[in-house]
Amino acid sequence: MKPQKVLLVPLDPVHDVGLKMIRRALQEAGHQTVLLPPDLTVEEVVHQVLKESPDTVLVSRTVGYGVAEILARLVDLLDAVGARERVRLAVGGMAIRPELAAELGFDAGFGPGTTVEEAVAFVEGRPYQREAGRQEKIKRDLTAGYSYEYRHQGIKEKLSLISDMILAWAENKTSPGVQRAILREEMWDVERWRNYEPVTEFFNEYAGLCGEPVRTFYLKGIFPPKTRRFTREEVAALEDYVRRTRERMIVPRLQHTREKPLVFNQYGTGCPFMDIGHIKVSEAWGADGVIHFDPSWGARVEGLFDGFLTHEEDGTLITPANLNRIKMSLEPGTLWQVRAHRGLNTPETVVLAGKLGADLTKINICYGSLGGGTDPARMTIDGYWAIRFAARYNLPFDVVTNEELCGVPAYKAFAGMLITVDLALRLGGRPILQPLFCYSPEVMVGGQMEDNYVEYNAAKILALRQIIDAPVWPGAPIGFLTHTEDRVQSSATTAFHACAAAMLDVDAITIASSDEAYSGGPISAPAKIDTLRAVREGFRFFGRLKLPVTPKMERWSEEIVAGIEKVLARVVERGDFVAALYEGLLGSREDGAYPGRNGRGTVFEA
Amino acid sequence: MAKPLERVMDALDLETCLVCASEEEGRRLMIQLARELGFQDVDIVFIQFQGPGVRVRARAYVHRSGSVYGWLKPPHAGEVEA
Repeated sequence: MKPQKVLLVPLDPVHDVGLKMIRRALQEAGHQTVLLPPDLTVEEVVHQVLKESPDTVLVSRTVGYGVAEILARLVDLLDAVGARERVRLAVGGMAIRPELAAELGFDAGFGPGTTVEEAVAFVEGRPYQREAGRQEKIKRDLTAGYSYEYRHQGIKEKLSLISDMILAWAENKTSPGVQRAILREEMWDVERWRNYEPVTEFFNEYAGLCGEPVRTFYLKGIFPPKTRRFTREEVAALEDYVRRTRERMIVPRLQHTREKPLVFNQYGTGCPFMDIGHIKVSEAWGADGVIHFDPSWGARVEGLFDGFLTHEEDGTLITPANLNRIKMSLEPGTLWQVRAHRGLNTPETVVLAGKLGADLTKINICYGSLGGGTDPARMTIDGYWAIRFAARYNLPFDVVTNEELCGVPAYKAFAGMLITVDLALRLGGRPILQPLFCYSPEVMVGGQMEDNYVEYNAAKILALRQIIDAPVWPGAPIGFLTHTEDRVQSSATTAFHACAAAMLDVDAITIASSDEAYSGGPISAPAKIDTLRAVREGFRFFGRLKLPVTPKMERWSEEIVAGIEKVLARVVERGDFVAALYEGLLGSREDGAYPGRNGRGTVFEA
Repeated sequence: MAKPLERVMDALDLETCLVCASEEEGRRLMIQLARELGFQDVDIVFIQFQGPGVRVRARAYVHRSGSVYGWLKPPHAGEVEA
């Protein structure tokens, strides 16, 4: 286009920084600019317009006092001297809103948050594509670049012995959960299912491997309480909603100048429709990945339901149709994790996640046994098979350590995590370490966080890095037990923890919403936006700064490493991993961990 | 015209600072205010009393999980969605 002459007018006592930024961009684009000094009267400005004969006049006004009167007078005077119709006129500033500008007779108004590019687009008379060029996210493999080589010989040797124990123990064992997973793997053809072809042979066998109420569902068609199928009309409306939303979707990055951490949040309202609504909101406000959260009772029930089902309480049922619809709604660059980790459907959930195209799953034998309510023997055999399936479907998985929330000290939880990690490496899996960033019972009693929440969390990361070269994904969510019902506090604590994690160069984080501590109702969409915005602001604030290592961090990390090695030594000495779980070596009743009872007595010889 | 309330994805929060003498009074006033605005399914998410009054946030759920969502209705010309 022909270079434009632009008059830049700071109609304000002092503020002209914004116009100077715009001037630089306009000059770089080949336009001619004239920047007037601040604090001219309206009459002086009009005189300059007549003198310079610009194509465009950009006025800035930061001070809100009297803004409407001054701007109206400017337009009136330009009109009176016959200059208004010869120029394109826009105004920008903190006090400006597009509606106000239009009302006053300007061609455009730019409020807070306007970019320099937007002003340049106005000068050039072309539509502005907000955040153009930043709309594409590419899925990243969190495990890429890690060697999984041990840096601590003593821990490596002990883990190897424990993995030998587990592999020998698991060799001839199975469970209903494993049988269902194998059936799902062998007889449930996802392509046939997608083509609406019957998978009768699968269901004939499957129902017999399920417990109540799943078996009743298959045999008699009775739904669990507060659950129903969607109607055709509802499904059509959902498809239309997803299509319309996609057309105008922009997916911003939160990390500013950093490459990582990727930011995940959870969904699981009970209703896949509401989940999809929440997911689209999360994506639009910058989440890199979303995590499927199933009902807690789902972990205690043998078998998975079937159909496109909504449920009126927290946690969305894992069914092929629910997962598939959610998957179809995701933006191409959004990572999708389906948690398997803790219950009686762990291996089958991994198979389903793999067949339906999930990017990640979640498995931990020790947490599932000690904090997740599942019998240790059952969780061990199901976890072993879940890892095998995760490896087969090329699904990396995080190894969560939420038993810390029960009161298990970090070093014991980490010993359990590393056992699952080592077993995974033996089975060809790609595990991701998931230490908690939390105000845990251990530190409440021990006082490690009396001064700050940073150093002990950092010590955990340092400890794990002393042991193995593996990806780290603090969770879940970061800042657990530091949130309150106040959305400002809750967003702030999430952002602070996110920034600490970023400054420790971790690979990903899971964040809560600002409703994390509110228990009176479901998490709301605005609460998800709150924390995503707060995290983005935190990342902008700290940029690429790193967290310096303090003497306390060093001391605590050494203590954690020593504690892990001691726990592993006791497991090796016990000679039986499953017995070690029952007997509390990886988290005892005194700590607050109780061996789960769901699925007790259901492990048998294959 | 579409009803704007139907476009609330799930919940509508009302936030303000109420002049009152105690947290209890603030809570009562806020619930009353939300009800007078026509909301029945109301809860106080957060409230903090200091000398001048309360900082308070009330929540009215418009759409709960499993209900029929107004925002899934396709928009028509002239409705809220431009």
